[in-house]
Amino acid sequence: MLKVEDLKKKFIRINKKKQKEEFYADNGISFMANNGEIIGILGPNGAGKTTLLRMIAGILEPTSGKISIDGLNYQENEIDIKKEIAFLSGNTKIYNSLSTYELLNMCCDFYGVDKSIRESKIKSISKILKMEEFLHSRIGNLSTGQTQKVNIARCMIHDPKYYILDEATSGLDIISSQLILDFIKEEKKKGKTILYSTHYMEEAENICDNVVMINKGIVIKTGTPQDIKKETKTTNLRDAFFVLIGGSYDEK
Amino acid sequence: MMKSNIFNVLKKELRETYRDKKSLSMMFIIPLLIPVLVIGMSALFDVQMSKTENTYNKIGFDYAFNEAEKSVAKEMKIDFTYAKVDKLKKLYEEGKIDLYITRENNIYTMHGSDNENTSYALILAESYFEAYKGILENEYLAKNGVDTIEFNNLISVKKDLKTEDNYFANYITNYAFLFIIMAITISATYPATDTTAGEKERGTLETLLTFPIRSKDIIIGKFLSVSLSSIMTGIISLVLTIVSLVIAGNTFELYEGIDMMLPGSSMLFSIIVIIFYSFLISGLCIAIASKCKTFKEAQSALTPLTFISFFPGMIAFMIEVKSSALLSLVPFLNFSLLFTDITNGSVELINILLMIVSTLVVISLVLAIIIRQYKSEKVLFSN
Repeated sequence: MLKVEDLKKKFIRINKKKQKEEFYADNGISFMANNGEIIGILGPNGAGKTTLLRMIAGILEPTSGKISIDGLNYQENEIDIKKEIAFLSGNTKIYNSLSTYELLNMCCDFYGVDKSIRESKIKSISKILKMEEFLHSRIGNLSTGQTQKVNIARCMIHDPKYYILDEATSGLDIISSQLILDFIKEEKKKGKTILYSTHYMEEAENICDNVVMINKGIVIKTGTPQDIKKETKTTNLRDAFFVLIGGSYDEK
Repeated sequence: MMKSNIFNVLKKELRETYRDKKSLSMMFIIPLLIPVLVIGMSALFDVQMSKTENTYNKIGFDYAFNEAEKSVAKEMKIDFTYAKVDKLKKLYEEGKIDLYITRENNIYTMHGSDNENTSYALILAESYFEAYKGILENEYLAKNGVDTIEFNNLISVKKDLKTEDNYFANYITNYAFLFIIMAITISATYPATDTTAGEKERGTLETLLTFPIRSKDIIIGKFLSVSLSSIMTGIISLVLTIVSLVIAGNTFELYEGIDMMLPGSSMLFSIIVIIFYSFLISGLCIAIASKCKTFKEAQSALTPLTFISFFPGMIAFMIEVKSSALLSLVPFLNFSLLFTDITNGSVELINILLMIVSTLVVISLVLAIIIRQYKSEKVLFSN
C-alpha cells in the first residue's frame, strides 16, 4: 500500500519583477493507493503532478508531509523503497551509448537482480516486448517506439511492486502510446500498483480505478471516474475537471 | 551493497567515457603533444646553440692579422673579413658581418649595435681577445726569462658541475612535467562535464536517481571514474615525457653527457603526484560542473580552473620558488614544486606526505559539498 499524507513541496522562482518568491508546487496532497490499483493523477500542465510523482519516486525531497510505501519511509528506508519502484516519465531518457542488453544488465546490477536469473529474465522480457531483434543494438540508434519498449523493459527488469508513470504517453504516437497502455493493463493483472499521471483525461478514464484530480498543487477531487462524473453531473472527466475548478482554467 | 553500488556507477561511467570519442581524444591526444613539445623545443634550442657557434661569427677587422692572430681566429671559427672602416660599417649595416673591430695603436674597439647577432659575435670576439692576449703575455714573460708554465700554474681553476645543472635539460624537463599537469587538467574537464552537466542535459540523471543508489555512491562513482581517466592520461603523459626526453637526450648535442632518463624512484614519485593531482582536479571539476545546467555552461565554468591549475607552477618555475613543507600544503603549487624536485632528484618524502594530506583534506571537503548539493533540486534539475 502506498500512502501520501499532506505532502508539500516549496520552490523558489523569479517573478516578473526579477524578485525571488516562494511557491508551493504541491500544497498538502494526500491520497492512498491499494495494491493492484491504478491511480490516475490528473491535472493540467503545471498542476504539480510531476513534482508529486518525483517525490514519491524519491527523486525529490518533500518540504513536508509523509510518503509511506508498504509501511516504509524515505528517511529510513530509501534504498528498500526504491527497489520496489519503477519510474517512467515522458521525459525519461536512457543511455544512448549502451545497447538494450547492456542497459538491462546495468539495471540488474543496480537493483541487485541475482546473476543466475538475469539472462532468462532479459530474454523473457525481450520476448514479451518483441525486442529480440534490437537487443544488442545501441539505444541511440533505435526508433522512438523501440526506445519506449526499452524504457518499459527497464522498469520491468526488477519486478517492482509499484510503477510511477508520469505523462508516459506524452508526445508519443498512437502505437507507442498503446504499448504503454497495454503494459499498464498487463501489470495490473499481476497485482502491481500503478500511479499514472496524465493530462489526457479520456485516457485516464479508460484505465484508472481511482483518480486524484489536482489543480495548482491542491487536490480538488478523489474517487472513481464513475463517482466523480456522477457527482459533477458530467459525462467525462474533462468536463468534470472544469466543473470542479469553477468553469474556467487560469494558467497563472 | 554500498561498495557494489559505487562500483556499478563507476562501471557505467567508464563504459560511457570509453565509448565517447571526444572523451577518448582528450585522454589520448593531449599527451601526444608532449613529445612534440620536448623534441620540438630541444631541436629549437639545439639549432639556436649551433647558430651561436657557426652563424654569428662574421667579424670584420680594419687591420691585417699577424700569424698568431690568424691562428687564434681560425681556431675559434671566426669568419674574418679585412676592410677599411667605412666599408666595414656598410657591411655591418647590410647585415653581412655581425661585428667589426678597429685598431688604433694597441687599442682595439668593437663596433656594432645592441642586437642578438652582435651580442653573440661580441662573446666570440671577447674570447678571441682573451686567447690572443694569453699568447702575447706568454711571449712577453718568456722574453723576460719567466717560466710561463710555472707562472700559469700559480693558481688553477677546475669545473665540477653536475650534469643536472644543464640549463636546457632542466628547462625542458620542467616544462614537460608542467605539461603533464595541464594534460591531466584538460583530460579531467571533459568527462567531469559529461558525467554531471552532460547527464543532466541529456535527461539521464533522472533515470539514475530512480535507481536504489545513495547520492554519495553516485558522486563517489563519478569521481572515481573521472579520476581514473585522468590518472590514465597522466601515466600516458609521463611515459611519453620520459621516452621523448631520452630520445631528445640521444639526438641533440645540447644534452651531450647528460643522462635524461629518470631514475626509478623519480618515476614512482611522479606516479604518486599524478594520482593525487588527478584526484584533486577530478573532484574540483565535478564540483563545479555539477552546479551547471548545460554542457556548455560547465565548460565555460571550468575554463578558469584550467589556467589556475597551470599558472602557479609556471610562475614558481620562472621565479625559481623552492619547495618547502608549507608550500607542500598549497593545492596546485605543491604538485608543480614536487615535479621540479623530482626532476632535479631532490624530492623530500615529508613534502610528498604533506601534499597527500593536503589533497585528501581538500578532496574530502569538495566531495562532502557535492554530496550535499546532490540532494537539492537546484543542482539536479535544470528546470
